[in-house]
Amino acid sequence: MITVFTCADQFDDMMTCVYDAWASRLGHANVRLLTEPLGTPELFCTYRHVDAQPEKAASVVRTIRQKISSRAVQMVYRTAMAEQEEKLDVIYRFLILGFHLGTSVTDYLQHPSVMRLLELERTVANEAHYFKEFLRFSSLENRVLVGHIEPKSNVLTLLAPHFADRLPSENWMIIDDRRRLAVVHPADRDYYLTPLSPEEFQTLSREPDDTFVHLWKGFFHHIGICQRRNSRCQRTMLPLWYRKNMTEFR
Amino acid sequence: MNTATGTLSLQDKLNILADAAKYDVACTSSGSSRRGKKGHLGNAVSAGICHSFSSDGRCISLLKILLSNECIFNCRYCINRSDNDRPRATFTPEEICTLVVEFYRRNYIEGLFLSSGVVKSPAHTMELMYQTIYLLRTRYRFNGYIHAKAIPGAPEELIFRTGCLVDRMSVNIELPTKEALHRLAPHKNPENLVRPMRQIQQGIAGQRLALGKDTRMERSRNNRYLEHSIFQENPYRVLSEKQPTTALFTKSSLSVGPEGMPDAAASGLFATSPPPVSPEGMPDTAASGFSVQTPRPARRIPDFLLDGSSSFVPAGQSTQMIIGASGETDLELLSVTQRLYQQYDLKRVFFSAYVPLNEDAALPALHTAPPLLREHRLYQADWLLRYYGFHADELLSKDRPNFNILIDPKCDWALRHLEQFPVEIQTASYASLLRVPGIGVKSARRIMQARRHGSLSFTDLKKMRVVLKRAQYFITCGGKMLYHIPIEEDFITRRLTGEQAAGNWEISHPQTYRQLSLFDDFHIDGDVTVEDSAKTISGQL
Repeated sequence: MITVFTCADQFDDMMTCVYDAWASRLGHANVRLLTEPLGTPELFCTYRHVDAQPEKAASVVRTIRQKISSRAVQMVYRTAMAEQEEKLDVIYRFLILGFHLGTSVTDYLQHPSVMRLLELERTVANEAHYFKEFLRFSSLENRVLVGHIEPKSNVLTLLAPHFADRLPSENWMIIDDRRRLAVVHPADRDYYLTPLSPEEFQTLSREPDDTFVHLWKGFFHHIGICQRRNSRCQRTMLPLWYRKNMTEFR
Repeated sequence: MNTATGTLSLQDKLNILADAAKYDVACTSSGSSRRGKKGHLGNAVSAGICHSFSSDGRCISLLKILLSNECIFNCRYCINRSDNDRPRATFTPEEICTLVVEFYRRNYIEGLFLSSGVVKSPAHTMELMYQTIYLLRTRYRFNGYIHAKAIPGAPEELIFRTGCLVDRMSVNIELPTKEALHRLAPHKNPENLVRPMRQIQQGIAGQRLALGKDTRMERSRNNRYLEHSIFQENPYRVLSEKQPTTALFTKSSLSVGPEGMPDAAASGLFATSPPPVSPEGMPDTAASGFSVQTPRPARRIPDFLLDGSSSFVPAGQSTQMIIGASGETDLELLSVTQRLYQQYDLKRVFFSAYVPLNEDAALPALHTAPPLLREHRLYQADWLLRYYGFHADELLSKDRPNFNILIDPKCDWALRHLEQFPVEIQTASYASLLRVPGIGVKSARRIMQARRHGSLSFTDLKKMRVVLKRAQYFITCGGKMLYHIPIEEDFITRRLTGEQAAGNWEISHPQTYRQLSLFDDFHIDGDVTVEDSAKTISGQL
């Protein structure tokens, strides 16, 4: 009989879930971890919902840092931002091995649970990097910058430090249209993560008219060399999927 | 010349000057790492960030524009040559600054790439460029990436001042041999190209020495594990290491460069006499930062040089060469490339497939296709030099001066050195792993990392992103190859070319795809005669 521990799709919840699954003493082979919303429930399983408890989450993170490394904390965090539903179970299997082997666990690339974690981490990190490149801000009348993205993974918290370092004295926000979440950065202050109400989302979704948008489109059009035209190469480097919110393709 | 400038809108100017700049290939924003500052705009990321990809698949990282496309030179291959009847435009410094800042805020670009046609004189042009960049760094408080062209023939002091403000500088040598340069770019003097390169190199080396570092720029960290890479086995190393040191402590150096070119670059750079002060209190030869003998009074040095965050051309210098315009061989190009890395410590050398723009007897005809596949092979070889520990003379020789178009340079090398293969994954050194086709810098690192903790199988290698379809002919895992494969040059060549053919065709024919037609492709045409129909009936045809 397998016990499935479920929790909300947030980092604190996930770490608490790992804590509870471990502390349940049911045996690693008899537990599975999933994030909500759940798909079709399985037969012969008991489901157990776990709510976030900051102390438990902090203790898991602390243990990872002490027993494995801070690099492992980073890897686990990025993996937790993935959209694949098996991610929490992947993290759990990685931690079982990691607490046994210690720091060197990140070198065991031939072990399936390490490789799977690295693959997920790479997916998330790559997507975050794509949005560092392809995110476009539009400047509102009051010079506030608003950028919309629709990422597969939850990359907002990975993007924010990059833009906070880059635009420290600008008012900007990045909005995740799929999750209705926003990172808001007031000029010269720290950024914060906040959910958006439908009305706020509506007001922030309209496109301001801007002369620099036209200038940029003109530049983008003129910089390509027509004798070397190669849209296939362009699609490889900049997949259509990322073009939804990009100024030059609208 | 300036008649039209007044009537052009900013949009028109941007279009004209982007059009004029697009044949320059360098659009990288890598090599410089700088944190953001409160009150300033921007930072620099060492890996570089591409912000978009244009219709030709090239990355758009920087706002690549010319300051002006007016030019007194008449280089045959160039779109902006003075003979050409083209719309001419010139930006004002404020226009460029506004464009950069507003584009940067919207995350369109990573910084500015500023080049220019030669307006009036090289000195005048360089002065305009310097003023633009100075304005951008100070009044507009721009802290992002800037790549500036050093105009050949500009005064050393101006080039030096510009170097203190930008991340990367470049001088395009365009053609690898003096004869070709003389034929196609009659106004360019080879010495004028080499001098700023040497000067920038010495500026970088001088500052690195002042900071207590090695004079040579940092290369990929993995190069430390390669004993025989072009950077470790560098015949110019001793020579060039001495030069900046002597230049620092003598009034002028008259040393002669290895090819016999006079090397007077250092004299202006590290001169002991106080240089003239410019009227607006601009940084007078910021050489003072490095000079040991004449420390300048603190108030003279602008704060952007003092706070330690800016330095002289931190991302190094680069250059570009046109290929396919003057009949040079790949061996010539690659040897020049290697020498530029070794002798001038360049960070990158770019290749640009020649796109015919001008009708000229000295150049290929107007409708010649750009040699894209050749360009691709040269870039592959360039990577082999910089990251894989290869030397130019290993890849090409006098008997085979050009790359095999059908197969990539590393596979080609491996096929000619089958006696070194197969390589055992468990025990091979990092250097020999890197020489296996299908194993790159990352997968070689992963193999080194993982094999300490247990044996590896072919499935594991696949997960580590080793390209087995190429690597399988050259490696063993635990003493066994993946399939039973005869190690014969002909057999493996046949297998490898079959796999690469489709990809190669796509690179060289980017926009011409169509279905194969028996009649068009094999010239089965001509009218059907009565005899033919008779033959078909009788079964003869």
